[in-house]
Amino acid sequence: MSWNHDGAGQADATGIEHLDGLYSYAMVLSRNHAEAEDLVQETYVRAIQALGRLRADSNMKSWLFTILRNLWLNQLRKRRNGPQMVEIEVEDGVANSIAEPSKNSHDLYVSRIEAERVRAAIQELPVESREIILLREYEDLSYQEIAGVLDCPVGTVMSRLGRARTKLRALLSETLKESDSALVRGTK
Amino acid sequence: MKDCGGDYGATIDLYLDKELIGPDLEEFRAHLEACEACRTGLEVREELFRLLRRSRPLYSAPDALRTQVMRTTELLPSSAPYTPPRLRRRILKVLARPLQSAGGGLLRWPVLVAAILLVVAGLLPIPGILRQASANSYVEAAVAAHRSSLNGSLPLEIKSESPSAVTGWFAGKVPFNFRLPEAAEEVGHEQIYRLTGGRLVNYKDGYAALVSYQMQQQTISLLIASSKSAVAAGGEEVPSGKILFHYSKQMGFSVITWSTHGLTYALVSSLPGSGRQSCMVCHQNMANGDHF
Repeated sequence: MSWNHDGAGQADATGIEHLDGLYSYAMVLSRNHAEAEDLVQETYVRAIQALGRLRADSNMKSWLFTILRNLWLNQLRKRRNGPQMVEIEVEDGVANSIAEPSKNSHDLYVSRIEAERVRAAIQELPVESREIILLREYEDLSYQEIAGVLDCPVGTVMSRLGRARTKLRALLSETLKESDSALVRGTK
Repeated sequence: MKDCGGDYGATIDLYLDKELIGPDLEEFRAHLEACEACRTGLEVREELFRLLRRSRPLYSAPDALRTQVMRTTELLPSSAPYTPPRLRRRILKVLARPLQSAGGGLLRWPVLVAAILLVVAGLLPIPGILRQASANSYVEAAVAAHRSSLNGSLPLEIKSESPSAVTGWFAGKVPFNFRLPEAAEEVGHEQIYRLTGGRLVNYKDGYAALVSYQMQQQTISLLIASSKSAVAAGGEEVPSGKILFHYSKQMGFSVITWSTHGLTYALVSSLPGSGRQSCMVCHQNMANGDHF
């Protein structure tokens, strides 16, 4: 990630490429639209402030996810000592997300119903399972990178991921059967 | 080696996650060849893997958040390292205003509102400056949208080379009477650029239209909004007929803005040259070189 431009005036890669991933991570942590948006925005602000201290060989993506997670943990700590927020229903987030106009390409790969079921199933998991599924299955972070973000040993990542997948597979068993049937029908 | 009875469960996960390397990988591949239970275990895991892949991204960031983040990143480049830290922090606070916080979010409204009011009161007391600030804001939004188009984070919602199809698609979706620039629709002149499509983008409290063109393998973006919310002002002024074009450079991009028929246009490209030269890149074949 860089915040600069090259000489030709063509924008090079910026942190914006991780925006959907960071927003998804914020959504699985907070399960709340407004909180997720605040978390993401604050993550970019903090990243800009700290960019000068970042080593050239650092993993920018993991770094951004770590910042977001730390912000979330700080927020949780503050909340324990302050008034409680009313959590917005997760379904509201799902519905709004689907209504976003940039979903056309998404429809090429999966039906709206299937995507909705997947989101709902993930949001049913406990937070440590939600975040590890997001980081591995959606963000393709390696075990080592996930361990860095979650600040835990790689062995813990492996065991948590295994448990999370088993739970998720159980929650999505009907959807998996349906997609399997559709696949069989499609090959006939 | 035949059926292992499921002892390789964790290894299957490692294999699927591409975390298995070297001799361990070779050994497991050989085992997989012989073990039906592990092949079944792998298939079961791959089904979930494929389902989750198909549902990517899990959530898409709202356009308003995207725009806000892009502004934050572009207005505060790390290439400005000499900004005093305290000033930098204050600017960041102002820029980091919350979008739709349900209350109790990370940022405090009263402080930010006060900061914004202070900035407005201190820096923008003159109508002409207000107009310029509004124009700058529109240019920044256009450049941010163009950059997002280039990096693929704002895919086109309608892909068409037909001006009427694109115009029809925007009808009713934007809060103004959408029309493409006349020169872009003009028939009889050989156009060296072609329309590729468009999409909606958030601008202020409503939608603006982002139209995309292609020329010499370069993408050109055109942001169209109502003149009620967007202003064309400042920069190098290039008159043509009844229209006054405003040319400027922003973040390394060439930006041309103009207003006509109640709409304000912002054309963003990486075209070389300045002012009139830049305009003539697209309009070099027009019969009347004085009028675009």
